Amino acid sequence: MDLLAEYPDLPARLADAGPDELLRTGRLLQRIDPADLRAKHPSLPAVSAAVVGHGTLATLRTALTAEAARHGLVLEAAVGDFDGYVFDLGDPGSMVYQRQPQIVLCALDAEEVFANLEPGWTAEDAGAAADALAGRVAGLAERYVAHGTGVLVLNTVPLPAIHAHQLVDHRSRARLGIAWRAANTRLLELAAADPRIVVLDLDPIAAEGVAVHDPRMSTYAKAHLSDALLLRYARQAGHLCRALSGRTRKVLALDLDNTVWGGVLGDDGIDGIEVCETYRGEAFRAFQRVARQLGTQGVLLAAVSKNDLEPVQQALREHPGMTLREDDFAHVTANWQPKSDNLALDAFVFADDSPYECGLVRAELPQVAVVQLDDEPARHVTKLLRDGWFDALDVTAEDRARTALYRQEAQRSSFLQRFDSIEEYLAGLEVTVDFDAARAEHVPRLSQITLRTNQFNLTTQRLQQSDVQARLDDPAHLVLTIHAGDRFGDNGLVGAVFARRSADRLDIDNMLLSCRVFARGIEQTCLAALLRHARATGVREVHAGYVATAKNGNVRDLFPSYGFAVATDDGASRTFRHDLTDVIEPAPHVRLVTQLEGASR
Amino acid sequence: MKTFEEFVGLLQEELGLPITLEQAGGSLDAVPGWDSMHLLTVLVLLERQTSRQISMPAVLEAGSLRDIYELVTA
Repeated sequence: MDLLAEYPDLPARLADAGPDELLRTGRLLQRIDPADLRAKHPSLPAVSAAVVGHGTLATLRTALTAEAARHGLVLEAAVGDFDGYVFDLGDPGSMVYQRQPQIVLCALDAEEVFANLEPGWTAEDAGAAADALAGRVAGLAERYVAHGTGVLVLNTVPLPAIHAHQLVDHRSRARLGIAWRAANTRLLELAAADPRIVVLDLDPIAAEGVAVHDPRMSTYAKAHLSDALLLRYARQAGHLCRALSGRTRKVLALDLDNTVWGGVLGDDGIDGIEVCETYRGEAFRAFQRVARQLGTQGVLLAAVSKNDLEPVQQALREHPGMTLREDDFAHVTANWQPKSDNLALDAFVFADDSPYECGLVRAELPQVAVVQLDDEPARHVTKLLRDGWFDALDVTAEDRARTALYRQEAQRSSFLQRFDSIEEYLAGLEVTVDFDAARAEHVPRLSQITLRTNQFNLTTQRLQQSDVQARLDDPAHLVLTIHAGDRFGDNGLVGAVFARRSADRLDIDNMLLSCRVFARGIEQTCLAALLRHARATGVREVHAGYVATAKNGNVRDLFPSYGFAVATDDGASRTFRHDLTDVIEPAPHVRLVTQLEGASR
Repeated sequence: MKTFEEFVGLLQEELGLPITLEQAGGSLDAVPGWDSMHLLTVLVLLERQTSRQISMPAVLEAGSLRDIYELVTA
């Protein structure tokens, strides 16, 4: 792997990388001269940084190198000497003032406080030492503000149990806790007082269960903050570097079905989606509240969904339990085109529960940050906030008014453009369709599909299990199941075709497909297979129908677009005929598995 | 990772160090770009993979990659 040449690919490759991969990549990148990176990729923004502090800081530098690459930034980092931050920030001749980097990270840890306390120390002794540290740092920060030109990043110092619990009585521990927090408060106040000082509060990270202290690394390598904590620190610092380079993310594009609300609006209806009261509804409400909270601070919310625009607007306006309302969104885009068509720019963060949609956006728009949610809505908030995509140095009054501003200016068009470059993504998706005669064990699911599917449902014939079983038992009927999968996993039984044979004629009674798997060639492949099977088994003409409902307008032209002639059309229902002389090809990127006679390509 | 060659290969991959087998057999001082901090991180990774604890002081006191390999596989 040539990291120098492939540096521009790293944002995509490191987007969801775990700690080991980040550190490995950081170590390898540190062996590349930033000057070579800049020469090779002159369009990438560069950020200069200094890393100083009390203990060994190799991991912080490594992690920061990886995080910069993750944002497509070329990092020029200098590391201060071990335990050298007082000199680095205090002496005008130090590398900090000579180089004047854009960002200076000064990593503080608790060992500095406790190292000089002799056995017999009390809560007051430790408190005084902590206060002395805060005072020393305050003086250095003042000096930096006067003589430095960049942003100084400090941190609060979580109190490790290995120190606090050396005091055996709870009263002493309480006094230590008070003094310790007072010292941290003093540090935090530095940030409140000056816009060029940032204090990363590490307590919320420690509260998530990230170990602050690694005894072996602290003892043997003098690395007093754990790698796990420094990785999280570096992630925040990486976002600061991004903000300093003027590339803050500004837009949160949200999928709707199973992201903003539970269920599928098109199938379940406004009354069927979950946004409050039920267990899952409460989880989605919590997510909506957080999205709204971000919106009040200048993050533009955009809704992107495969639903029709009208029901989406209706749900946002009229659903009594909805937290997010139409006015909270700068833009509501709901259409059936693959979603990446509606997104652009590196200001976007896209959140969706569907691996398919997330993969599509990653592949087509690598500059968009993707928050991959899943089918556990209780974790949506954690996943949305974890990376810190909207971290900013400051939020201004203009930021807070931004949504209203954009709403005034936004064109409320539905962006109904064709998406041309999707073939490449689909080819890599490895879609597999298993299209075969149904068996008895499929009956419950087949019935459920006919009862629940509203959008891709050509004639909306609802079938109870006994109806499905009756067709299965009748040799004149064809009941065909559509199983789909792709490299993200198995989608399960996602669709069905119901048809009847009589002499040399085949009538397609209905075709259904779950909205989770639209627009990726599955319907084309199944229709092609069905038509080939019909021709191979002596059928001379295939008939099909469409019966309009409030929700299935999108499949009105399905049959004509795959070679069927319109036989009748009274507006509400249409019939089609195919003479099998010219049968469509299956979608080229879909692998078809079928036992149906003559159906394979 | 079973052989010394595989161990050196792992370090090359994880640390980006262009160590030759000849260098790997000699003193650590002769390994260009050697950084013991990075080595410790890799050892932690190895520990997780093998569910075994490696003595960090012993590794830090080791004089050659061969010595470290023996500690890791002991």
